[in-house]
Order: sequence, then C-alpha cells, then structure tokens
Amino acid sequence: MTTDLTQLLLNGLSIGAVYALFALGYTLVFSVLGVINFAHGAVFTLGAYFTFLLIGGSVGANGLLAGFQLPFAMPFWWALPLAGMAAAAVALVIERIAFRPLRDRGADPLLALITSLGAGVVLVNLIQLLVGAESYAIPTTALADLPPAIKLLGAQVRTVQLLLLLVAAVLLVILSLWIDGSRSGKALRAVAEDPTTAQLLGIPSARMIQIAFGLSGFLAGIAGGLVGLSVSIAGPYFGIGYGLKGLGVLVLGGLGSVPGAVLGGLIIGLAEACVPAELSGYRDVVAYGFLFVVLLVRPQGLLGRVMPTKV
Amino acid sequence: MNTPLLALEQLTVRYGGITALRTISLQVQSGELVALLGANGAGKSTTLRAISQLVPAASGSIRWHGGTINGLAPERTVKLGISHCPEGRRVLARQSVVDNLELGAWLRRDQAGVRSDLERCYGLFPRLAERREQLAGSLSGGEQQMLAIARSLMARPTLLMLDEPSLGLAPKLVAEVMEALQALHRDGLTMLLVEQNANAALAIADRAYVLVSGSIEQQGSAAALRHDERIKAAYLGP
Repeated sequence: MTTDLTQLLLNGLSIGAVYALFALGYTLVFSVLGVINFAHGAVFTLGAYFTFLLIGGSVGANGLLAGFQLPFAMPFWWALPLAGMAAAAVALVIERIAFRPLRDRGADPLLALITSLGAGVVLVNLIQLLVGAESYAIPTTALADLPPAIKLLGAQVRTVQLLLLLVAAVLLVILSLWIDGSRSGKALRAVAEDPTTAQLLGIPSARMIQIAFGLSGFLAGIAGGLVGLSVSIAGPYFGIGYGLKGLGVLVLGGLGSVPGAVLGGLIIGLAEACVPAELSGYRDVVAYGFLFVVLLVRPQGLLGRVMPTKV
Repeated sequence: MNTPLLALEQLTVRYGGITALRTISLQVQSGELVALLGANGAGKSTTLRAISQLVPAASGSIRWHGGTINGLAPERTVKLGISHCPEGRRVLARQSVVDNLELGAWLRRDQAGVRSDLERCYGLFPRLAERREQLAGSLSGGEQQMLAIARSLMARPTLLMLDEPSLGLAPKLVAEVMEALQALHRDGLTMLLVEQNANAALAIADRAYVLVSGSIEQQGSAAALRHDERIKAAYLGP
C-alpha cells in the first residue's frame, strides 16, 4: 500500500512539476504584458525535438528533413540545456514578430492573443513539414549511466520521473529567488506593474520584456525535453494538450502569481495521478473538473489577488 | 547668458489630431526652480512627457546642455540626468518602500553612493524611514508622494521634473512637500515644477511660465507673477 502511495505521489508530483514549469513560462510573459502567449505550447514541442536531435536522434522518412541526423551526438545533460536555449531563441523571435510590432503601434494588447496563436500554428506546421507527424521516442539509453529505476521508500520508481521532479524543482526555486530577491527580478516586476513608470526610472522595458520571453522559452524547452524523455514525443501537436493544461494550471493558481503557478501545477498533477489506470481516459476530466470547482469558489485562483481598482 | 540646462524651442506635440502644445519655448538654467502653471488640460503634463520622451515631438526641439535630445528612448533621458516624477505618484504598489527607492537608482552602479542617498532620502522624509519595509501600496497619499519624490532623487538627477506633487494632498502635507522641495533647491538642485496650485508653486519658484491651452501666455519672475493682476484673478483666488 505504501509502495503504491509513493508511486502515485511521485507520478503526480513529477507530471505536476512539468505543468508548473510550463505555467511559469506563461506567467512570466503574462505578468509583464498582461496577455497569454499562445505560441508557448509550440515552443515546448520544439524543445522536445531539439533535445531529440541533439542526443543524436535521426529524423523519420516523412518530412523534408527525412533521414537527417546531426553530425554529432551529446549526452542528455548537455542536450537539455542547449535545447532550452534554442527554444529561448525561438521565443525571442516570436516576441519580435508577434508581439513587438503590435506594441510599437500601441495596439490593444489582446490582439497579441491572435498573433501568438498564429505564430504557434505556423511553428507546429513547420515541424510537421520538416520532420513529419510520426512520434519520436528519446531512447532511454540517453541516460545510460543511470539505472532505469531505483528504490525509494520501498517503492521501485522510474529514474526519469525523479529527474523530472528534481530539474523542475531546482529551476522553480532559482526562478522564484531571482524574481523576488534580485535587482533585475525587481525591475522585471516593476515593468510588470507599470511599464511607463519603470521607463521613467531608467529601466529598459523593452529589454526586460525580452528577458521574460527568453526565460519563458527556456523553461518551455526544458519541460519539452523532459516530457519527451519521459513519455516520448507524440508528434508536432503534442505540445497543445500540455499548453491547454498549462493554461488551466495558470488560472487555477491565479494569473500572474509565481507560487500560484507552482501550486496549481502540483495540484493538477496529483489530481490526475489519482485517476486509476483503467480510467486513464478521464484524466483530463478530473483536471478540468477540479479547475471548474475551484473557480466557482475562488474566481481569482488559489493564490491570485483581486485586482484593486485604481483610486 | 550661459547655455541653458534645458531649452524647449518651438515645441509642438500632437495626440492624434489634437494639438496639445503649440510652439512653446522655455528655458531652465542650472540651479533654477522653474514653475509651469496652468489649468487642467493646458498641456503642463504633456510638456514634461515630451521632455522625458514619453510622447514624441511633432516639431521643434528639446535641448539638453545645448544638444537636441528629440527621439531618445525614455530610459536614456534618465541616464542624461533628467528625472521625471510623474503625475499621480505612480509608486510601485506591490513592492516595498526600500525596493521602490532602490529601483530609482537602477542606472547607478556606485553602491556606496546609493546607500548614502538612501539615508539622505530618509532624512528628508522621516516617515519613509519608518515604513521602509512596508508595501508602497499601503502608504497614505502624502507618503506615496514623498516616496515618488524620493525615488526620483535616487537617480541623482541634474534636473528633477515634478508633476503636480501637491495634487490630492491635505494643506498641511502640501506645505511639508513644498518645504522639502525648497530644501532641495537650496542645496542646488535644478527643478521644473508643474503645478495647478499656483500659490504654493510661486512661493518657492524663481521663475514661472503660464500655459493656456497649449501656448505660453505669460512668463516672468515668481515675485512679479505673484503680484500680476491677471494671474491673481485666474489662479491665485482673492
């Protein structure tokens, strides 16, 4: 029984941690711009493919890049952060193309929902065009130097899941410390609260927005690589489900709240893990049902604050 | 006369089709406290916003030490030494008093200087020292105004521009804020003060300009304007 419970908790926490990473990426951009970046799921997907290629995976037969393989292969530990950085670069391009032109023209920020959705659709289709729609598995040999499962509290747990949890936890802690404690983190929060005033203090708002996008892309790329390793890449659309789930996590935790994103991720992950295997098709029902009930009681989300109207 | 620290020459600013400022010219000499007076909507805030490049000039030039600075990014004007304390205080409500002040010194790298300026601000406004760890949003209106002024000082500006620092404050607090400004002026800080409260502004200013619907109608020494019949009738009350 305790074995099952440990396994269940770990399942829930590890997937929840990935949701949290994902939602934190949304949160970063949402807090500085007040809009959701709908291309976030596509950046996550790219992170998974980048990781796959960097560890030496070769492309299948159905895309323009059929049979393509990088001339080198690297260990997973190098590939994951590199894939994160490549994803960050893509996120910066998305900011440049889908967000900044609107901002420069003083357009309604909500229009960025549409342009970012467009950017996401383009990316997903580009992936399909290049590498086809088949699923790719990141070989577990990527972690050849680690045992596939280890014993923890009497339970056999998959090493991959522990890694997911560890990497996500470390990133979440670093990011929270940075946002709350560092000078540049405070400047980012200043831009989030009042971009004009931030500029009057000499804080370059445009640069801070780029930093938010870069970090958000990095987190998405890492999350993509980890999920790819854990459950394989189910095709170009595989980020969309996570994207929606991440959005649910964001709303559950409270829009714009960093601890909220983490708490929301863990709760939804655990709720899903409690669904018995034979009913696994109903996982999303449980997750979104939970979201529905919480929002009935607390419309601002678990840790969100009710926006005070300006006096 | 020396090159003025700040000079606006034939400056025109438009919002869409509306002309907010019509070819205004104005100078601020180093060490001066210059007041910019006028009714609501006369273009006072727009003048400050144009100087700190938050709104573009349609024509005319903004000169700093004689060189034109039109079209700079707003955050670059801070680097030049222009600190703009905006209308409505605009403190960062979700950060603490001390974080607000430290963000005011964002562009500075001299840690020791920032520390000593922080103490100077607390000396100028002792209430801020008492509330240094409190969230800025929890301060009273007067305290927020003091915080906004202190935050602008943290950039160690050459020119401090203040937009309606007395707005919405009780008379006692207005006096307190004005005294602080006067003390800064005595220490040699150059200031451009936008005010609807002409009485309070003329009491501490060296010179003043009067804006009426986007044009400068009058200018002169504060002492002369205080006794001008038109000014008395329009802004100073009986």
